[in-house]
Amino acid sequence: MAAIIETSGLTRSYGDICALKPLDLCVPEGEWLTVMGHSGSGKSTLLNLLGGLDRPSGGSIHVRGTDLATLSEDGLARFRRDCVGIIFQQHHLIPYLTALENVMMSQYFHSVPDEAEARHALERVGLGHRLKNRPGELSGGEQQRVCIARAIINSPRLLLGDEPTGNLDHKSTTMVMELLRELRDEERFSIVMVTHNQEVAAWGDRTIHMDDGCLVREERTKSC
Amino acid sequence: MLIRILKSSFLKRPKPVLLVLLSIVMGSAVATAFLGISGELSHKMALELRSYGANIVLEPAAGDAGALKSDDLPKIKTIFWKHNIVGFAPYLFGQVDFSSAAGRQRGVLAGTWFGRPLQVPGEPDSIQGVKVTAPWWELDGRWPETPDEAVIGAGLAKRLKLAPGSDIVATAAGKERRFRIVGVASTGGFEEEQLFAPLAEVQALLNKPGQLSRVLVSALTVPMDDFGRKDPSRMTREEYEKWYCTAYVTSVAKGVEEVMSGSRAKPIWQIASAEGALLKKLDSLMLLLTGIALFSAACAVSSSLMAAMAKRSPEIALMKTMGADRLQIAAIFLGETLVISVIGGLLGYLAGDRLAVVISRTVFDSTVTSPLWLFPTAIGAALVVALAGSAAPLKRALAIEPVRVLKG
Ligand SMILES: Nc1ncnc2c1ncn2[C@@H]1O[C@H](COP(=O)(O)OP(=O)(O)O)[C@@H](O)[C@H]1O
Ligand SMILES: [Mg+2]
Repeated sequence: MAAIIETSGLTRSYGDICALKPLDLCVPEGEWLTVMGHSGSGKSTLLNLLGGLDRPSGGSIHVRGTDLATLSEDGLARFRRDCVGIIFQQHHLIPYLTALENVMMSQYFHSVPDEAEARHALERVGLGHRLKNRPGELSGGEQQRVCIARAIINSPRLLLGDEPTGNLDHKSTTMVMELLRELRDEERFSIVMVTHNQEVAAWGDRTIHMDDGCLVREERTKSC
Repeated sequence: MLIRILKSSFLKRPKPVLLVLLSIVMGSAVATAFLGISGELSHKMALELRSYGANIVLEPAAGDAGALKSDDLPKIKTIFWKHNIVGFAPYLFGQVDFSSAAGRQRGVLAGTWFGRPLQVPGEPDSIQGVKVTAPWWELDGRWPETPDEAVIGAGLAKRLKLAPGSDIVATAAGKERRFRIVGVASTGGFEEEQLFAPLAEVQALLNKPGQLSRVLVSALTVPMDDFGRKDPSRMTREEYEKWYCTAYVTSVAKGVEEVMSGSRAKPIWQIASAEGALLKKLDSLMLLLTGIALFSAACAVSSSLMAAMAKRSPEIALMKTMGADRLQIAAIFLGETLVISVIGGLLGYLAGDRLAVVISRTVFDSTVTSPLWLFPTAIGAALVVALAGSAAPLKRALAIEPVRVLKG
């Protein structure tokens, strides 16, 4: 199967701190990869590089064949809006816009806002009844589901999650993970997800463990 | 969507938006008020300056041999620039022998109007004469009211030992005329050596009925510019029309010359150019003050937008994460700026217009009607303020790195 992500010798350092040591990583199209490790081990650094939010200090990243290093700043922005959906631990919704408007904003940056499509996306994440609510009026799990709707609205090929369930209780976590599995099975996009939670990792196909910027261990999840 | 984002972002952040709006309103109001009264101010100032004396002199085109006609005088109030004629005074000069109780002396007798009511059909009545064109004369006594009364220059009065109440006899070509001195004039100029008597009496005495040697005209004019200095005889038809319809001292002089037969009109340059220079300085001062007001408004806008930007950086970082490029981010901010500045310009115009009315009433005791171009100017000023004020904040917004701002 073709690889959606291919890195070779990928590094990122902040001054003296080497947040990511040379990393060769290959993620096949459609795979659900989980990244685990201690705090400060370089997980977010890796995710930001994959999402085109940050530039490597060395090595190369190809996503769907595109060398991210060759893209300009606006080129990276276009790459993000066309290929990537990102979910953070903090929900990062715009507080003064409704759930529907938050989703439509992503459409606006991508192409044109389509209210019906945005409403459908929110219905798919089970929020058809909370379209007009602002983030402050939603629970943590609901907010995270708005973020998922927003991340998938432009049909990305790659979904990145940086501890998306880190702030959620067990019940909400399960709900979000079930939702992600459902969406992935329908849309066939790839997922790279950072988590501390062993249970969450079990939802993925493969898990890599990081420590101090290095990939130390790799395992297949037996359930898949 | 952009509209929806803008609308929500305004409604949800009323305080910073109001702060920015206030700065823009202030800047645009001050600019409107300054520009609105500057026309009025120049006009008032020009009127004040007219007390320096006449700025146009008419003399016979044929030189000393010729003469002007006093019958032509009322026509001065019918020329194209009649409303700009503040006043005029006719003169007839002649060498005569003066005699008084103290002795005899040769000197200049000037016939003139002191303050003569002038009625021209179709025009408002006016007073013309020395009183109007030479308000700086210091008169010990009063102005003549009857044909027998005269004003004497201070130098001549001293030599002939004359004071208000005494008599003087002027003799020319065997004719004699007695005048009663009612005022002694100190002017600091050649007028101090002359006797000023009513024009008709002097014309009779000198045997020159209806004749004049000079007319001094005091007119409101605009400062000369490069175009005004061009030679009218070499202008194209359109240029000449434009020149004729601009109140340059030269074009007003031309208008007067055309109605006074046999005359040549010349600007009195030391007055005209000093006045022009002063008015120009006044205009640049107003522009400078307007510029400073706009600049400080832009600084205020910039600092409140900067502060708002610090609060909004997660929002901007988020937009960038979603794939917004620089143009899209700029569109949101410039869209906000545009809306605020149009509203601010409108309010600023209304406020500035009121301000101009209040200023002109308290300072000049008059009313102004603001010119039409002031409205687009006010909006333009608001736009300039807003755009200048948002340049630095926008630059900062574009430089935001989502990774740093959104770090978990
Ligand atoms: N912007 C930055 N400047 C300096 N050091 C950074 C920056 N971002 C991350 N780091 C450092 O890089 C290392 C890896 O960070 P990160 O990828 O956020 O870890 P994780 O997400 O696994 O907790 C840490 O030591 C962190 O201090
Ligand atoms: Mg992290």
